[in-house]
Formats: sequence, structure tokens, C-alpha cells
Amino acid sequence: MSGADITLTASTARKTRARRSLARNRPVLVALAVLAVLLALTSAISPYPLSYFDVSFLASGGATTALAAMGQTLVILSGGFDLSAGAVVSLVNAVLASQMDPTNFEASVPLWTAVGIGVGMCVGAFNGFFIAFMRLQPIVVTLATMFIIQGLTLLVLSKPGGFVSPSIGAAYMGDAIPNLLPASVVLIGVVILFWLWLKRTPFGLALYAVGSDPEAAAATGLRTNWVVFFTYVLAGGLYGLAGVFVSAQTGSGDPLVGNSLLLPTFAAVVIGGTRLGGGKGGLVGTVFGAYILMIVVNILLSLNVSAYYATIAESAVLMLAVLAGSLSANSPLAHKLRGARDYLSARRKGMLVSQRPKADNRLIFATGAATPDTTLPSFWVRNSVMLRYTLPAFACLLIVLILTQVVLGNVFTSFRYWDALLVLSSFLAILALGQGAVILTGGLDLSVPWTIGLSGILVAGIVHGSNGALIYAVPIVMAVAVLIGFLNGLGVVALGLSPIVVTLAMNGLLQGAALIYSNGTPDGFAAPALRWVMTGEVFGLTPIIPLLAVFVTIAVLLLSRTAFGRRVYAIGNSETAARLSGVKTARTLIQVYILSALCAAIVGILLTGFSGQASLGMGDDYLLPSIAVVVVGGALITGGRGHYIGMFGGALLLTAMQTLLAGTTLPFAFRSVFFGLVILAAVIALREKRSH
Amino acid sequence: MLGYRKGAARWVAALGLSALSATAAVAEEKYDVYLSMSYIGNDWQAEAANMVKALASHSNYADRVNLQVQVAGPNAQRQIQQINAMVQAGADAIVVYPISPTALNNVVKNACDKGVVIIAYDGEISEPCALNVTIDQLEAGRVTAEWLVEKMGGEGDVVMITGVPGTSVDAARTAAAKEVFDQHEGINVVGEAVGMWSQAVARTEMSKILATRDWGDIDGLWMQVGCFTANAMQMEAGIAADSLLPCAGEGSNGGRVQMLPAGSEVEGAGGPYAPLSAPRISYASPPYSGALALKLAVDKLDGKDVPDLTTLPLPIVTSETIQLCETGSWEEQKAGCNAFLPSLVSNPGWFASIFSEELPEVGLNAALVGQPEP
Repeated sequence: MSGADITLTASTARKTRARRSLARNRPVLVALAVLAVLLALTSAISPYPLSYFDVSFLASGGATTALAAMGQTLVILSGGFDLSAGAVVSLVNAVLASQMDPTNFEASVPLWTAVGIGVGMCVGAFNGFFIAFMRLQPIVVTLATMFIIQGLTLLVLSKPGGFVSPSIGAAYMGDAIPNLLPASVVLIGVVILFWLWLKRTPFGLALYAVGSDPEAAAATGLRTNWVVFFTYVLAGGLYGLAGVFVSAQTGSGDPLVGNSLLLPTFAAVVIGGTRLGGGKGGLVGTVFGAYILMIVVNILLSLNVSAYYATIAESAVLMLAVLAGSLSANSPLAHKLRGARDYLSARRKGMLVSQRPKADNRLIFATGAATPDTTLPSFWVRNSVMLRYTLPAFACLLIVLILTQVVLGNVFTSFRYWDALLVLSSFLAILALGQGAVILTGGLDLSVPWTIGLSGILVAGIVHGSNGALIYAVPIVMAVAVLIGFLNGLGVVALGLSPIVVTLAMNGLLQGAALIYSNGTPDGFAAPALRWVMTGEVFGLTPIIPLLAVFVTIAVLLLSRTAFGRRVYAIGNSETAARLSGVKTARTLIQVYILSALCAAIVGILLTGFSGQASLGMGDDYLLPSIAVVVVGGALITGGRGHYIGMFGGALLLTAMQTLLAGTTLPFAFRSVFFGLVILAAVIALREKRSH
Repeated sequence: MLGYRKGAARWVAALGLSALSATAAVAEEKYDVYLSMSYIGNDWQAEAANMVKALASHSNYADRVNLQVQVAGPNAQRQIQQINAMVQAGADAIVVYPISPTALNNVVKNACDKGVVIIAYDGEISEPCALNVTIDQLEAGRVTAEWLVEKMGGEGDVVMITGVPGTSVDAARTAAAKEVFDQHEGINVVGEAVGMWSQAVARTEMSKILATRDWGDIDGLWMQVGCFTANAMQMEAGIAADSLLPCAGEGSNGGRVQMLPAGSEVEGAGGPYAPLSAPRISYASPPYSGALALKLAVDKLDGKDVPDLTTLPLPIVTSETIQLCETGSWEEQKAGCNAFLPSLVSNPGWFASIFSEELPEVGLNAALVGQPEP
């Protein structure tokens, strides 16, 4: 082999490597490009040239979201999901603001930064313990943690106030190099350097391995539970750092400051190119994602776009950024287009399976197989798996009922308790079917809140208190819901995007639509017939209760006795296996999202009947509970396992617990902690004895 | 890049997004005032914004004030960013509905240092250079609780529905009310739930409390928002209008109409949104505070003396002082009316405390549709 050949081979190898590295970092590069374009746009439309001060302000403005989102990225890389991120930011802010000495203006920056990170890590360790060692599902553990932490935060700092030393503010909000480098950029840079180092350590490799395929990772001898545990601890530390930064930025404490950060962190992670579900992505892209989100706001501000359109614009940016990052010859959209082209060409040539002659091609032994023993095993044996996962919810419910009887009485002696319990659980019970079906396929529907809100506002706006108008108002609302569900399903199936991204964007679109339709203040009120369903009386029962019984029966039959139900479970267990077995997975998935939107619309209508009016944001309190009841009811968040009866039990349990707490005079902070602990207890009862 | 920027400027001007179309001379004299709101989409916020806009478009102000409205949502981070963007854009004054009393301190300080007048309405900003317009929340909690104790004859069981936990307003009102209840041995607080300042949440929470209790077990209600709903629920439960529980609560128009003598002729009344002689004390953080903040900001820019803290008179209406307005003009409200016809205000949750001695420019139409008094 001549020297020239060797050089040539080496240069080809280098090119291939460069191309591969480019392909791998494509989402990050796309995010960077989007950020650059947006920055240029900001500078173009602003009346003044961007000064160092503006850049420094932009940098520190997005730093909190960026830091928290970096923590979230770690968790998502490991295949998890962390709902406690925003709550930890609030807790750290509250701890710092309440514990610092108001007379000491020169408090030690390293010390208090360490305190903040330490508090965050403790919460992370709590999450990590239950997820890694108790093998509980991340989404429920972190949901329970979120409630517990929100309660603790209010115990630490019951209202905005407190003091954060100016030295902390100066350190993080000031300049590392005056007029050249803001401290916030240095802070994020340090975290990125830490990440670039961490990524190359055995832990970093293990993190990606666990996120890509936990079983394979365990099979190669990785101690996956420790990897997961430390991931949550590290993530907690980053939320803590975000909390320190917020404290520096605001100079004081507010127990609610971090709560609105949760959804933006997810959006930042996704825009930054990290795959929900784990194993792919990184922290660098997330930083770009966080700043993209922030700059979009600035651009809307300087263009003076009506606030009604703000969420629509943000959703559009989310979808476009994610699409731009995923479009390639291998993307699901390209697959789908190729598939459609192949289908058409096969159809033209008459080669489709359905076009072949319908002769019986079965093999001999398949038709003549001996009928097996037809005596069924006993009920308990047949349903043991179902019972194993549905009973814990009902067992917890029984405990809560007994506790209520002891504390407040009137549970087993009066029917009024049961009437109120069933009426109040009807909302969650109905949502559980839709959200439950989506979760059974391995998805998640985050568009529930504003589907509820928009449906309620539409129905109140159309009927304006008239019974007759219900005849067309309800079908109109249902038709809108079908459209919402169809678009959600189409986004998941045809664009191949994560259900979380599609439904999160849809939620923003619907919020904008509801604001525009109602012009900021919904008017109109529920028809008397609708009010009667929720608050009237028939044979001593509120009319919704018999309707709920019908709904529950239909829901159980739909999921466990129909072909649709079996397809849902099949997709949840393995979409590929389901497709290869002839399930039209795309059609089923779209149907599932339509079902979820329909359930949310029914809840919107019923809530309007219950309150007499619709209000914006009326669905906001139902998103996390709708997920919680499904999981507490025994469903697996990754899909394939769960029974509607269990979810119904979950809805009853959550409502009974809230009823118990509302009847006491416990401070809200304790209630929140208690609520979180009960959710945790319920899922501990569902724990798998060993991982598969 | 330069050409691009010029192009963009032309585009912006063409869309009318900048004030370039106004003649230069007038633009010089006008104050640039920005309104930074929190979330939109509840009645209180919408009314406050309408009243600010109405005042700015009144002939007393239209030639002097250039008002721009922006909304931050519930996110304090975003409001920080927004206020800074307003300062950068050359604001003379910024009227703020602060999402957090503390989180804005640094950005507000920075704005003050650049000579921008910052004035907060309803909520307070704790940074000393900011001006604040608000009611005394402690007094609101105390006065309403005292009324309830007196109405109950000093003894009985009270249910409390509070606001949004973790906010200063809720903390002050609830603490002041509890202090009053604690001073009376006969008064027991038997249930307490978080109402989030929403009629819908108040109904859900009341339903939970009533799951284990009867209306007959409760003697009085103290609710930051929800008296309208509580009265509706008692009607549904078959309780006669003359035995409704005394309720200390919010200043919604629905609640005010319920306070009118039962049987009075009121245009547009129907269902629970009707005169019931309900025993009530009604108070509110008045939505006109935003408009007053704008007025004070302009006064300050004019060089007049404006106090750092403007405490608004607590708008209290009881069953004795309730009076229906015919048109809702400022003159009519000055004469003492304080509830509006359901035919004019279709939404019972709409806040009725919109009268201020100092703002003859704004009446009912200002709060409803942003139209100033003639």
C-alpha cells in the first residue's frame, strides 16, 4: 500500500467521523442556529443596538430556566421524568431567604451556594431512593415529591419575604470580566464543562446506557440502580443551583417562584434535542433551548404581539424547533411518506395483501387443531394480575374512609358523603379513561387542561343559559374535541414526535384559542339542565351518579372486552410487535388521542354545569391528578399494563383524601405534605417485587 | 445587516407598531407609560386593564400619555425580563401588577436608577423606590371577621375559604381574620379550605366540606371569594332565602345583587344571580387601583408630590348599604350605588368595587369595555 493511499484512507475516515459527529449533534446545531436567528431578529427589531447590558441581562434572565432544565435533561437522559424540579427551586429560594442573617451584607457565596445545592441534592436523593432502589415509577415519585416539597416550602417561608445577601446577588448577577463577560454565562459555562467531563466518565457512559436500554445495561453488569440514584442527586443539585441563582436575581424569597418553571424546562430539554425516553441528547442543547424560549418572549414583547397569541407563538416555536431537529431521511415523517408512496405503488400494481385473492391459505395443522380443555381457571387465577394492581388503590381508599369516619364521622352512617364523593370524583374518573388509554399506549396527554377549559368556555358561550341550545352546543364541543384529538394523534403518528411535545404544544394553542374566543373574560353560563345534572336530585341521588355508573361500565367494557381495547394494550406492550401482528397502530393511536380529548371535553362541560359558569384555567388543576389516578390505579406509565377499575379506584382515593383534608383545619402546608405521602404510599403498594 | 435593520424598521413602521406615525412634536411631549400585567383571563385583571386603558384614552390624558400594555403571565422571571425591556424601550413610567412582591426588587431598583417611575397596584413591591397603591389587607381580614362574629352573636362554627397559599395578600387576610376568631371563645373554625380566589374552586371545596357536614352544622362563612357560590349552593340544598348563612366575602356583582332585598325588580336577574336579602359583608381589592396608579404616575412625572404608599379606602358594602345602580355612571356611583344590573353585567363573578372619588374619568363602561366617561 502506497503512502498516498494511506493518507487518502485516513482523510476518508476523518470525513466519515466528521459527518457522523455532525449527524449526532444535528439537533444541538439546529437549536444553536435557531437561537442565532432569533438573536439577529431581536437586534434587528429593537430600536437601539444591543448593548453589553442587554446581552448580560438576557444571559441572566434565562439562566434559571437553563440551570433547572439541565437538571431535567440528566433525568430524561436516564429514561426518567422529574416533576419536582420547579418545587425544588422554590424550596431552595425559601431556605436561603429565610435562613440568611438580614444584618450580614457580606454572606459567604460558596457557603450559601453549597447550602442550595445540598438542599437540592437531598431532594434528589429522596427521589432517587424511591425510583432506583424501590423501583417506583419516576413520574409518580416526583409528583409526590412535588406536593411534599411545596408543603415544606410553605413551612419554611409562608409568604414572600426574607432576605438574600447582596453579596450573592453581586456574585451571580455581576460581571466576571467587566463589560465583556457576565457572571451568569460563566456559571452556565462551568456547568457545561462539568457535563463534558462527566459525559466521558464511566458514570456518563452508564447514564446513556441506562437511558437507552436499562435491561441491556443491567445485563452488561452495570449497577443501574446506583446510576439512576446519582442521576437524580445530580439533577437535584442543579435545581438547587437554579434556586441559588433565582435568590441572587431577586434578592429575597417567594415560596411560589419556581412553580411556573416546570413546563418551560421540559420545552427547553426537547428543543435542545434530547429525546424524551432517554439515551439521546445532552445538556448543551438544553441551554440553547432555554434561551430560545426566553428570546421568543422578548421578540413578542418588542413586536407588541397581543398576549393572547403569546402561547400560540411559543407552541409554534416548540413544534418547529423539534421538527427541524428531527427531520432527516431517517425521521418518522420520511418513513411515513415513503410508506405511503410504497403503498400507492403497490396498490397500482395490485400487489397489496388486501388485493390478493381471498383463498384460505392456512396450513393444515392450524385449522384442525384439537380444541384445548375448555374449563376455565377460577376467577381469582384468571384475574390475579388485574387484582394485584387494582386492589392497592381500593385498600388505600378503605383506610382513608375509616380515617375520615374517625376524624369527621358521617361516612358510613350517611349517604350524603357518598353522594358528594361520587360527584366530585366523576371529573377524575372520566379523565382517567382518556388519559389512561393514552398512558396504556405509552403516551401522555398534556393537552387535557385547556381542552377542558376551551370546552367549558365554548359550551357556556354557546348555550348562554338556554336548555334548547344544548342540543347543538354539546355536539359542537364534541366535534372540536375530536379535531383536537385527531391533530394530537396525527402529530404523534405522522410526525413521529414524542406525545409530550405534541400535546404540550397543543395545550398552548388551545390556551391561545380560548383567550381569543373569550376575549380574556369568558361570559355566558351553563344551561339549567346541565346545572341540574351536577347539582340537582333524582331519587335522592345527584343525576350525574347513575350516568357515572353507565360511564364506568362502558369504560371497563371498552378497554377489556373490545378489539380496540386489546389493540391499545398491544401497542403499549410493543408497538412494533403490534404492527407486525396486523394492528393498524397509526389508526388506533389516533383513536386513543381522540378518546382522551372527548373525555376532557365531557369534563369541561360537566365542570361548567357544576360551577354554573366557565372560567379560563378551570382545567389547570386536573392535569397532574389525571396522571396520578391512572398510575395510582395500577397502570404502568410506559404502557401496556393497567385496568380501568383500578383507575376509578384511584380517582375515588384522591377525592376521598381531599375531602378528608378539607374537613380539617390543618394548615395547607401539612395537607400538601400529607397528600404527597399518601400518593407515595399507594404506589409503594404497587411495587414490583423484582425488576424484569 | 444594516440594510436588514433598516428594512425591518420600515416594516415595523408600516404595521403601525411604532409611534412614528404620530407627529414628532406631540410625541416629544407625551409620556411613554407601560402597563405590565400578570396573568390575563380573570375578571379582576380584565377590569383593571380596561380601566387603565379607559383612563389613558380619556380626553384629560389622551394627548399626554402613550400607553402600552404587556402581559407577563404567572411567571415572575418573565415579568423581570419584561420590565427591563420596557426600561430599554425608553419608558417614562411603568405601572406594574407585581406577580411577586419580592422577585422584582432588583429590576425595579435598576429602573428607578435610570429615572423611571415604577408604581405597583394591588400587590406591593417591597423595593423602597417603588410607589405602591393598595388596600390594607390586614384591615380587610379584620373588618370582615369582626362583622361575621357580630352577625353570629359571638358564637358558632365558622368555615373559612382562603385564597392562594404562599401569597402576601392571602397570608395577611387569613391571619388577621383568624386573630379575630381566636379572640372570641364562642367561635370555632371547623373547616378551612384553599379557594384560590375562584368561584369554581370555592364550590368544589365547599362540596368536600359538606360531604361530612350539614349546612345546619355551620353558623357562618368567611370566604375570600365564594359567597355568591355558597348562597347558590344553599338554595340548591333547599334552604329558604331568609335562612341563608351570614357570609363575609368578595365584592363580586353576583354577591352584591344577592344582597338586595328579596323580591326587588332587577332587570336580567335569574337563577342564583337575583336579589335574596343575603346577609353579607362584601369587600374587595378594587380593580380601579391600576387606573389610579396610572394617574399617580402621571402626577409624579408632572412633578407633583405622590406618597410612596397610597392606601385605598376599603370598599365595604353590607346588607344595610347595598344600593342598585341604573346606568353605572361615575356620578351615579358617587351618589352611593354599588351593585349593577345583571342585564348590563352578565357575569356574576365580575367585581363591582369600581368607584373611586379620585377618578371621575372612569365608570361602569370603563370597567366593562374600556370606554371612559364622557
